[in-house]
Amino acid sequence: MRREGSPFKGLSVVAFKEAADHMASPRMHLVMLLVILTAIGSIYGAIGQIKETVGQDPFLFLRLFTTARDPLPSFMAFLGFLLPLIGIALGFDAVNGEYSRRTMSRILSQPIYRDALLAGKFLGALMVIAICLVTLWLMISGMGILLLGLPPSGEEVLRSFAFLLTSLVYSGVWLAASMLFSTLFRAPATSALAALTLWLVLTLFWGMLAPLAAGAFVPIDPFDPSTAVHQAEIAHALARLSPSTLFGEVTLALLNPATRALGIIFYSQLQGAVMGAPLPFGQSAILIWPQLASLIAGMLVVYTIAYLSFQRQEIRA
Amino acid sequence: MTLSGRLFPAVVLAGSMALMAGAALADQPTAKPTGLWLTTDYPAVTEHMGDTATLSLTLANSNLPPVRVGFSLEGLPDAWKWQIDGGSKQIAAAMVGPDDKRLLDLKLTPPEGVKPGNYDFTVIGKADDGETLKLPITVTLGAASPDEITLDPKLPSLRGTPRSKFEYDVSIHNDSPEEATLNLVADAPPGFGTTFTEQYGSQEISSLPFKAGETKTVKVAIKPPADLAAGKYAVTVSAADAKTQGSTQLGLDVTGQPTMSLTAEDGRLSGQAEAGKEATFSFTVSNTGTAPAKNLKISANTPSGWKVEADPKSLDELGPGADQKIALHVTPSDKAIAGDYMVNVNSAGDGVSDHADLRVTVTTSTVWGIVGLLIIAAAVIVLAFAVTRYGRR
Repeated sequence: MRREGSPFKGLSVVAFKEAADHMASPRMHLVMLLVILTAIGSIYGAIGQIKETVGQDPFLFLRLFTTARDPLPSFMAFLGFLLPLIGIALGFDAVNGEYSRRTMSRILSQPIYRDALLAGKFLGALMVIAICLVTLWLMISGMGILLLGLPPSGEEVLRSFAFLLTSLVYSGVWLAASMLFSTLFRAPATSALAALTLWLVLTLFWGMLAPLAAGAFVPIDPFDPSTAVHQAEIAHALARLSPSTLFGEVTLALLNPATRALGIIFYSQLQGAVMGAPLPFGQSAILIWPQLASLIAGMLVVYTIAYLSFQRQEIRA
Repeated sequence: MTLSGRLFPAVVLAGSMALMAGAALADQPTAKPTGLWLTTDYPAVTEHMGDTATLSLTLANSNLPPVRVGFSLEGLPDAWKWQIDGGSKQIAAAMVGPDDKRLLDLKLTPPEGVKPGNYDFTVIGKADDGETLKLPITVTLGAASPDEITLDPKLPSLRGTPRSKFEYDVSIHNDSPEEATLNLVADAPPGFGTTFTEQYGSQEISSLPFKAGETKTVKVAIKPPADLAAGKYAVTVSAADAKTQGSTQLGLDVTGQPTMSLTAEDGRLSGQAEAGKEATFSFTVSNTGTAPAKNLKISANTPSGWKVEADPKSLDELGPGADQKIALHVTPSDKAIAGDYMVNVNSAGDGVSDHADLRVTVTTSTVWGIVGLLIIAAAVIVLAFAVTRYGRR
C-alpha cells in the first residue's frame, strides 16, 4: 500500500534531535577533544616552523595548514587521517543502535517515514560535523592571526573555506559508509569494526596496494616506455578509488596554490611554464572539481545504498 | 769709550787670527784668501719684462772677525723697487762670522712700462769697519716670450654611430718657462657627454699640473646623444689657466643607426589564454633610431605544442621614428596545464633586434566541471529514484 505525503515530513525534527544527542554524547566529546588537541599541536608547530624558516610568502596563511614540524605531521595530514574517524564515530550505530536499544519501533510509530529517519540521522550528524569543523577553522584562523600577526587575504579565505567544505564532504563520505554498515550489521561492534577496517585499508594501505595491483594488471615492458606511463596511469586511477587519495589531492591543490596538475604530466607540458607561480582560485577550483565531485557523488551513492538497505529491512524484529 | 774698550780685545783676537792664517798660508799654498766679499753667481742676467727678477747674493767672510754689513743700491732708476731678503725676511744689513757666509736674495721689481734694455747698478755693502763692498750687476730686460699651450689630437676626426663612444688622444704641451695648472674644458653641442681621463687610466680629470715645457696626453671621450641625427659635429677642447689657453677642434662624423624596440600595448606583458583556444596580444614594433631598419621578422619561442602567429610576420622596412602594430595570435596547446607560461617574442632585422617576454596565464576549459556536475546529478537521480521506488514506508 502506497502512503501519501512528503517522505521527508519530520526530517528536521529528527535531524535536530540527532544533532543535540551527538553534541551531548561523551563519544563526540572524546573525538573532538582528540581532533582539537592535534589541531592545536600541529598549528602551533607550523607557526614555529613558519617563523623560523619562511621569509616571505604570498600565501603565508595557507602554510598554517600545510607546514609540518617534526615530529608532528601537518594539520592537513592530521585531518585526512582523523576526519574519517569523526564520521565513523557518529554513524557506526546510527541504525543498529536503535535496534539494540529497542527504540526503532517506537520512533517509527510516530508519524514519520523511514526516509526521514535515515536522512535526519545523516543530516543531523553532518550538521554536528559542520559545527565542529567551522569551530576548528575559526580557531585556526584566530591562532594564525594572533601568532603570525597578519590577516589572511581574500584568496586565502576562499581557499581555506573551500578546504573546510571539502573536509565536510570527506567526513560525509565516511559518515555515509559507517551508516551503511550500521544498517547492514545488527551488532554495533561489528559495524564499527567493519567501518574501521575499511578506514584503515583505504587511508593506510590503499596507497601501497594500488601500484602493486597496477603492476599485476599492466606489467612494464622494458622495451616500451609507454607501458610504464600506462601502468602509472592505472595505479593513479586505482589510488583515486580511495576517498582519502581524492581528499589529499583536493587539499593539496587548494592549500598549495602553486599546484598546477594532479596527475601524471609530461615534461613537454612543463616547457616554458613559470614554476612556482600560483594559480588563481578559479583555476585551482577547476583542477579539484573532478575530485570534489567524485567525493560528493560517492557520498550520495553510499547513502543511497544505505537507504535502500534500510528501506528493505524488517524492522519489527 | 766702553764700546772701543769692548772691541779692542776682538781686534787683537782678529789680529792673532790673521797671523795664524798667515802661518797656515805659508804651509799650504792653496789656503783660502782672507777678506770679506759680496758675490753673486750671475752678475749679468736677462729677465722677462713684467717679472720680478731675483738674484742670489752671497756675503762671505774668510778669516775675519764677525762683521756687520749694511746694504744699499746705486745706479738704479728711481721707479724700480728693490729689496734684499735674508732668512726669508726683508733685511737692511747682515752680519757674518768668520769663515761663514750669508745667502741673500735681491728682488728687483721693474716699474710698469719699463723699456727693454740694459740696466746697470751696483749693490753696495758697507761694513762697519769702513770697508765698502761693491758688486756691479747688469740686468737686461727682454721682451717677455709669450706663454703658449698647444693641444694636438692624434686622430682629430672620428666616425661612428650615435651608440659608439668617440675617444681622442690629445697631447697637451705647456710651451712656457713656468709651471701651470691647466683646466680642461670641452665645448660640445647640447646633449653630448664629454669626459677627460688619463691616457692609460680610468680616473676622470678636470685639471692637470704641467711643468715648464712638459707634454702630457689625455684621453677625451665624447658620448653623443643616442637619438642624434646623422651628420658632422665639432667639439672644441681647450686647456687653460688664468693667463693663457690653447684649444683644438675634434670632429665627429656620426652615421645613422636603426634602433628597434618591441613593446606590448599599454606595456602589459601578461595575459590570459584558454588551453586550445586562440588569444590575441597586441605588440608594437618601433624604430627609435636614426636610420631605417630593414628585413624585420617577428617570431616567438613557445612551449611545445603551442601555436603562435604574428600578423604581419615580417616587414621590409621601417623608417626612423615609424612604428607598426603587430597582432600576436597565441594558441596554447590543448593539453597545456593551467598556470603561467613564458612566451618569448623576438623581432629581428638587419643588425637590430629586440625581444619581449610575454607571460601567458593558461586557463583550462570548464567542460570537465560540467561533467562533474553531471556525475553528482546522476547520483542525486539514483537517490531520487530510490526514494520514489522505496520511499514512504
